[in-house]
Amino acid sequence: MTQSTPSHAGCLERIYASALRLYPSPFRQVYGPLMLQTFRDALQDSTLSRRTLIPLVVRDLITSLAKEHLTMLRDTFSRPALVFNALVLTGLATGLAFALYSIPQQVLRLGANDPQIQLAGDLAARIEDGVAPADAIPADSVDMARSLSPFVIAYDDQGRPLASQAQLNGKIPAPPSGVFDNVRRHGEERLSWQPILGTEHGVRIAAVLKRVGGTHPGFVLAGRNMREVEAREDQVGQMAGLTWIGMLGVIVLGTAVFGWYTRPTTT
Amino acid sequence: MATGTAPAAPLTPAVFAILLSLAEGEKSGSPATGLGRWGGKHGYLIMKDARAPQGGGVRLGPGTLYGSLDRMMRDGLVEESGVSDDERRRYYRLTNLGHSVLAVELERLDAAVASARSLGLLPDGGRS
Repeated sequence: MTQSTPSHAGCLERIYASALRLYPSPFRQVYGPLMLQTFRDALQDSTLSRRTLIPLVVRDLITSLAKEHLTMLRDTFSRPALVFNALVLTGLATGLAFALYSIPQQVLRLGANDPQIQLAGDLAARIEDGVAPADAIPADSVDMARSLSPFVIAYDDQGRPLASQAQLNGKIPAPPSGVFDNVRRHGEERLSWQPILGTEHGVRIAAVLKRVGGTHPGFVLAGRNMREVEAREDQVGQMAGLTWIGMLGVIVLGTAVFGWYTRPTTT
Repeated sequence: MATGTAPAAPLTPAVFAILLSLAEGEKSGSPATGLGRWGGKHGYLIMKDARAPQGGGVRLGPGTLYGSLDRMMRDGLVEESGVSDDERRRYYRLTNLGHSVLAVELERLDAAVASARSLGLLPDGGRS
């Protein structure tokens, strides 16, 4: 067994003292001097060779450094008050982000009905005044799938198309019969309608279906392709999503900084 | 005074070795063996005991030793019994809870050894 010179031991002691700086500050302040003294005692123990001691201390440094830093992180960030605050703030941020999405989305969606409400009302009034549906419908044609222009369609009392300004795949689509039944009871319905004719599934229409009274009862529908409105809704969704992620980032950062400065100290 | 809860068995090798060393010190301790006059052992004595075959053969380094002592004090298993005059060493001793936890762990190990012996995995009368 070989023990080195005092200067060699002093050098090892200085290296170990430097390595102690890697421990978390609260732990180091309490136990650093004791660990150094223990290392000093081990260096002076003639029954413990340096060949055994040095690898043991190096392994111990690696494992205990990792363990003490993890313990410090757990003690710092797993405090119930800190976690509760973070969860409350996360809930508020999520609610705010949801509002940032849902309010503009509703405004956009409801606004998409504006011209159709007037168009359906005007057409229903003309037909009730005795104008034939074919004459009351504007002559220009609208492709429901491609055009963003509003259009109108007249249906008879059973919901069969009588005249239409618009077509989809060369045909005049009609809403489901349940929608007509509902309009019979309530006079009007505003709906997001996805007409399915043949293979066409991607067209969504902001529609207003109105009951027509008078001598020739039936229905009129005013609609408009929602493509542009849905694109704006997507943009709003993306902005709300980014805002949510940003708020979560601020909460995480704020919690980390607050937790760090209020961390408990080792006693 | 620590008011922690006892760790669930089985104990880690480091915790077991520290408890065993401090218990051994209370049984046979005297100032001549390096024990403090308050009763209890300082860090390097605990390390040395743990390294010995009868202490479990656990190679503790200073970081693991003081990290474990810190957590054991929080759990109420160990307490400081004094500080050396030059304040370079602190002495530790078992609490009543520490004694109880060590006893439970020894019973658990004893039962395991008895079971191994009954299965023929250990010779009768062999060291346990």
